[in-house]
Amino acid sequence: MRRMLRLLAGARTLSLGLLITLVVLFGILVGPWITPFSATEMDFINVLTPPDGTHWLGTDSFGRDVLSRVLSGGQISFLISAVGVLSGAAIGTTLGMHAAWRGGNQEALLMAFCDLLFAFPSFVLALFMMVVLGFGMHNVMIAIALAYLPIFARLARNLTRTMMHEPFVQAARLMGQRPARILVFEILPNIFSTLLVQASVGIAFGIVMEAGLSFLGLGVQPPTPSLGVILADGREYFQRAPWVLTLTGVVVSVALLGLNLLGDGLRDLTDPRLRKAAGP
Amino acid sequence: MGSTTLRRGLRRAGILLLTLVTGALLVFLAMKAAPGDPALSALGENARPELVAAFRRDHGLDLPLWQQFWAWISGALTGDFGRSLTLAGGVPVGSLIANRLPVTAFIGLYALLLAAAISLVAGTIAALQRGKAADTALTSLAVLGVSMPDFWLGYVLVFFLALNFPIFPSYGFVSPVDSFTGALLSGFLPALAIAAPMAAVFARVLRAALLDVMHRPYVQVARSIGHSGKFVFVHTILRNALIPYVTIIGLQVRYLLGGVVVIERVFGIPGLGSLMVDGAFGRDYPVIQACALTFLVIVLMTNLAVDLLCTRLDPKARA
Repeated sequence: MRRMLRLLAGARTLSLGLLITLVVLFGILVGPWITPFSATEMDFINVLTPPDGTHWLGTDSFGRDVLSRVLSGGQISFLISAVGVLSGAAIGTTLGMHAAWRGGNQEALLMAFCDLLFAFPSFVLALFMMVVLGFGMHNVMIAIALAYLPIFARLARNLTRTMMHEPFVQAARLMGQRPARILVFEILPNIFSTLLVQASVGIAFGIVMEAGLSFLGLGVQPPTPSLGVILADGREYFQRAPWVLTLTGVVVSVALLGLNLLGDGLRDLTDPRLRKAAGP
Repeated sequence: MGSTTLRRGLRRAGILLLTLVTGALLVFLAMKAAPGDPALSALGENARPELVAAFRRDHGLDLPLWQQFWAWISGALTGDFGRSLTLAGGVPVGSLIANRLPVTAFIGLYALLLAAAISLVAGTIAALQRGKAADTALTSLAVLGVSMPDFWLGYVLVFFLALNFPIFPSYGFVSPVDSFTGALLSGFLPALAIAAPMAAVFARVLRAALLDVMHRPYVQVARSIGHSGKFVFVHTILRNALIPYVTIIGLQVRYLLGGVVVIERVFGIPGLGSLMVDGAFGRDYPVIQACALTFLVIVLMTNLAVDLLCTRLDPKARA
């Protein structure tokens, strides 16, 4: 009975998260084409107008419609975060699974390397990478990927280790299947849901990371409207037009809320033991 | 006791040192691989060749790579991180770090304490009121808390609190060395902005840990012996739930430092984070290397402290 209730509660969180995420995804994928205003077109007659019926989130100092900018910026920020986190996840998972399977020195060495990367605060690591690689959109993706690589490597390695001695893996081994085949077709499907949970929470934090870097001026550079760039713009004239920064942030928070709820719901459904290992 | 503890301690210290040196090497090599000549970025693209050569000789940039690394790492051990390439005509980076570190440590600890205090109350209430309105409200608030970018929250806090309650300044920071009360007040909003998402994470972990412990047999035993509900909660339930709670606080220090970097910049606090951002804009590689290394040391020390604390809290690990 209690399990049923928990499942239902998980499903409620999951469906709410899924709903918000789908609305946000629809907004950023389709929105830029259906809003009557362009994200970059300037209109010097309507500069810094407060939110009203025509400009739902007002306009910025160039008279650009903030809602249109947030939608295109969301598209760019989501793309950066998703590409970054997913490539970090792909490389990290491959390394982690490989390490768990090989064991011995290779495992120790790979994990020591991941621990070292993990010992840098992720934002500091990203900031450092921006200096090494130079500012700009693609380098933000690489920085996010690097910040997530050790997290996924460790997770995948630990999960693979728990799976390695399961009967079905032993059976596949006895049948003489190649290790790569066992890892991809026997183990990966069983650990995939946990990795997915981490990825959905990771994408939310990746968006915060992009926004933070671009907000400081170290990430995506101005003509491109990413969420961080829009927030940084809003800071410039915060005293005169507080709605730009405030409302953009509200939209960002709602989007992240959706992703976090989605992650929570998935976690509740898939593995109750993992609920303790929270954190971005 | 005795030799095993000592051996374990030595092993840990060895691993710590190895991690630190490897980390330093990684930071150093990455910086060297970065495109752009630090001499040209400090002197300008059209600097005269003899000036560039003098600058390179002055900063030891003409030496072989391993000699440069050795000079840097051996200097770093004594607190000498070289001189800044851009700031104030080449101030020693070591003194910059020494000036900025206390500020960052103050803000970081302030945020950590706020987060711990908020989460201790919220997590306990949520666990005790499990399934009731207070739990639902706090749990929802916690998810919302992790979803708000901290630097944005900082601005909104300034807008609504600093403008209505003038005791919290909206910009600038009073150093704790000058006035501790001033530092507490001027640091409150920045610390709160960093603390909010962390408090959310801590509260969720504490709630889960409390619920996990509450129905363990030893809690029932403590109750059946006749201890009062309050006593059982403090000495049995909370005591056992503290281990995952302390662990998550330790893990989140990485995240906290990231928040500190952005928030320092937002509120104009002269800490390590704003130093690193300034260094990033000026491509001031001695400053960036030193900052990255300092953050690494802070995280490694925190991990060590958390491990020791958990060993003390957990009688099983002490044996």
